[in-house]
This record gives sequence, structure tokens and C-alpha cells, in this order.
Amino acid sequence: MPSRTRFRLPAVALLVPGYVLLFLSVVAPVLVVLVLALFDYDPLLGTADFVALDNFGRVLSSEEFRRALVNTAVYMLLTVPVTLAAAMLVALGIHSVSWGGTFWRNVYFLPVASTMAAMAVAWRWLFYADTGVIDATVGRLLGLEDWLHSTTLALPAVAVVGTWENVGFAVVMFLAGLAGVPPHLVEAARLDGAGAWSRFWHVTWPALGPAVVFTLIITTRNALKVFDQVRVMTEGGPVSSSTTLSYLLWERGIRFLDVGGGSVVTLALLVLILALTAIQLATVGARWERAGTR
Amino acid sequence: MTARTVSRQALTHLALALGGVVMLLPFAIMLWTAFVPERLIFGGAGLGDLTFENFRLAVREWDWVRAYRTSVVVAAITFVSQLLTCLPAGYVLARHRFRGRNVALWVMFGCLIVPSLVIAIPTYVMISRVGQLDTIAALVWPSLTSAFGIFLFRQFILTLPQSIFDAARLDRVGEFGMVWRVVLPNVRPAITAFGIFSVVSSWNDLFWASVVLQSPANATVPFAITQFADQEAGVRYGAQMAAATLAVAPLIIAFLVAQRQFVRGISLNVAD
Repeated sequence: MPSRTRFRLPAVALLVPGYVLLFLSVVAPVLVVLVLALFDYDPLLGTADFVALDNFGRVLSSEEFRRALVNTAVYMLLTVPVTLAAAMLVALGIHSVSWGGTFWRNVYFLPVASTMAAMAVAWRWLFYADTGVIDATVGRLLGLEDWLHSTTLALPAVAVVGTWENVGFAVVMFLAGLAGVPPHLVEAARLDGAGAWSRFWHVTWPALGPAVVFTLIITTRNALKVFDQVRVMTEGGPVSSSTTLSYLLWERGIRFLDVGGGSVVTLALLVLILALTAIQLATVGARWERAGTR
Repeated sequence: MTARTVSRQALTHLALALGGVVMLLPFAIMLWTAFVPERLIFGGAGLGDLTFENFRLAVREWDWVRAYRTSVVVAAITFVSQLLTCLPAGYVLARHRFRGRNVALWVMFGCLIVPSLVIAIPTYVMISRVGQLDTIAALVWPSLTSAFGIFLFRQFILTLPQSIFDAARLDRVGEFGMVWRVVLPNVRPAITAFGIFSVVSSWNDLFWASVVLQSPANATVPFAITQFADQEAGVRYGAQMAAATLAVAPLIIAFLVAQRQFVRGISLNVAD
């Protein structure tokens, strides 16, 4: 319990630097982006014309925006479920071995610890047409070649890299969750004759609830924020086929200096992230709170 | 152990190894290509052909020392500033009751939820208006403090026993002394975890660098590797892989040296 100390000047002084910076670097920009979305601002000339909702009409009805929205949804659907499922299998495997678990955890965690921009350069080489490792193996087997120059395969290629990057994080989260599953419950279920699947489904899975909800929310946010691999591997192409909202935000607002348009994309992305987090908490999160008592 | 348990364990290791190959393959191919002469990168190279030629080329074409220096400076300023601002704030929020405390907590949570992408365009406009694009100041500005850091330190300080604060108060330790002489020595594990989180985040960041940088002069390592790969696009993959190796090396080595602290630090990855 915090002590009931009277409020004294030195205490507030300790709060000031952090909060002043928070206001200047986060609160103020979020308010400014709302204003910028209403203006036609030219950063080179420094001129600003009030255009009301023109930017919204222009951007939200554009083919470019619609496409980025679809690409974001596809990217999310390609990465999030695969990341969670793969990480769950890996975590269960690591949890069940009697030695070497730390070694495997480190192997799967390595991509999380490495600089994504540099690894995306390496991945671009792996996806190199014809002679690259992907084309020489998966490509030969499935007939899927030259991913980065294909309008249908560029986004999946970026999603492969996103999944590869995030699995290790989810594994670590699930391992922490598994460590919290009471072993006597699993043992009791085993003595009652429950099979492996039944033990997982009735004992382990409900106990993992909070870890899964948390990882789902973070992985979804990571998917919505994807930038590095898109920038390095495809630059959103070919013909915008791998442009997500997060990349469009940068391309519109920074590269093309369309501040008003970029601000509208920013607001769309912000709404999407907040809405998805809220929905996940209200549905999956709430269900797990009930399941915890079953 | 029964024979059945042993064989099941062996199968699990085998399955983990298969997945592990996929995880490590990009690193292996990057390293191999970095050491293979350009004429042999499409195949046919043996161990005897390995060379440093690609590294020499990568270093000749880009000032990596400068990029490393910029990244180190940015990471250091960011971490020190975050520590100096977050630790005192976290302490006050954890150990003091005052009017407006709930508002302060809600502001912190609000900032925690807002992703860094959202502040990009308004902050870019602001920085360009004051003529500071393409500077170290622009690189560190949005991370001088961290809502996540305040949150983390507050949570950690909440778990400390009240007695150490009472004892210090009896010794007439003031508020500043409380932070530096009582809180600081007791939150070392949290500082280590947050430090790794903070340094790794700023070292790896490409997005913010792509927002405020325009020339190679103040390129951070991720920005440099991206520009370098653009400039070499389609050619000289050996040099690209050598540069990529140089870029990932510091964190990979740090990770191998301090695995447990790293896993703990980066798994904090909730903020941003």
C-alpha cells in the first residue's frame, strides 16, 4: 500500500520532466494529427489551407486506401493465427523436454533479438528469383516462384518474415504461462486417465488464457504496425500489392509529403488498432475470465 | 525413464530441431553468402573459397563506423533520458497520494496504448518547422521519456516493502534522495530489463529514422543497411550480406552473452 504522505513540492517536481515530455511527444502530436487532417499543409512552403473534410473524402474513397486496408487485413490473417499456433506447439514441446529447453528457447528467440532491417535484407536474398533458397526449394515443389515480384505472393512473403520474427516472442510468453500451470492438476488428470489432448484442452489451455489473450493483442498490434520488412523487401510493391496501412502512412505522409492525407491514414490506423484491442479484450478476454472458473 | 518416454523426448527434440532449422536458415545463408566470393554466390563455393572480400567492399562503400557511432549515441541518450525521467515519476506514482494521481495514471495508460506510428506525421511537421530534420536531436526526441518505463518502474516499486521507505523517512531522506539512494539500488533488476528493452528498441528502429532522416550523414545502423541495400539492389549480394552481418552482429553477440536478461528485457515488448 502506498503511504499517506502529504503532497509536498519535491514529489511533484519528480513527476514534471517525464510528464512534460509525454505531453510534448505523445499527447500533443495525437491532438495535432486531428488538426492536420483538416488542412492542406505544405511542409516545404510552410503554408496551410483549411480544407475541412476534403482529406478524408479524398483518401478514404481512394483505391490506394482500400487496397492498403485489404492488405493489412490479409497480412494480419496470415501472420497472427500462424504465429500463435506455431508458438503454442513450440512452447509445448520446449516445456515437455527434460533437458535442452533453454537452448531451444534461445534458437526460436534469436530473430526477436536481431535487427529486422538487416534480416529483411537477408530475407530478400532468400527470396531471390530462381536461384534463391525459397525458389530452389518451396518454389520447385509448389510452383510458387519469384515471390517479391509477384502481385499475389509479395504480401505473403512479407508475412512469412513477420511470422518468423514474432514466433519467438509468443513462445516466451507461452512458456511463462505454462510455468504457471499447476503440475498437480496435470498429474491428477493423468491419474484420472485423461489422454494428452484431453489434459491439454481441460487443464493447460484454460490456465494459459491470460498469456494467450495478451500475446494475441500484442501480435495483432505488431501486425498493424509492420514497416521494416515492407520497406526493405518490396517497398509496398509490386503495384501496391504489399502496401499496408502502416506503410501507406509513411509513403503518403513522409515520402510524398502529403501531410493531410497521411494524417487521415494515421487516424484510420489508430482507430483500427484501438478497436481491435477493445474487441479482443471484450470477446476473447472476457470468455477467458469466465473459463478461468470452470 | 521408460523407453517410451525416451523415444517421445527424442521425437520432441527432432520436431523442435526441424522448426529450429527454419528459424536459423536466414542467419546461416546470410553468413555463408557474406563470406563467399561474388562470382560463386549462386553456387559452387567450397570452404576453401571463403574470403573477407565482401566485408572490405561493404566497408569501402559505406561509413559503418559512423553509423555504429550514431546508433550508440542515440541508444545512450535515449536510455539515460528515459531512466532519469521514468524512475522518479514511477516512484511518485507508486508511493505518493496526491490530487490528480488518477489523472496522471490515465495519461500514462493512454500514452501506452498509442502506437509510435501515430505521432510520426505531426512530429515530423514540428521537427521540420524548427529546422531540425536529419539531426541526432530529431532521432531521440520522441523517445526521451517512455510511458512504458513509468508504468514498469511504478509496478516494480509497488512491490517493494514499505519499511524501507519508512526507515529512510526517519533518517530524514528527502524525495530526491529517496529516488537515488532508496529506489535505485532496489530496482536494479527492473533497470536491467528496461535497459535492454530500451537499447534494443532504439538500436533496431528503422521507422523513426526513415521519418526524420534525409541524408546518410546521421544514418543509424538500420537506416544505413536499408539505404545500402537499396543502392546495391539486384547486384553484389555478397556485400549486402556482409553489411547485414555487421548490422545484426552487436545485438546477436549481446544476446548470446546475456540470454536470460535479453529474453526478459525484450519480452517486455508491450509498449511502442
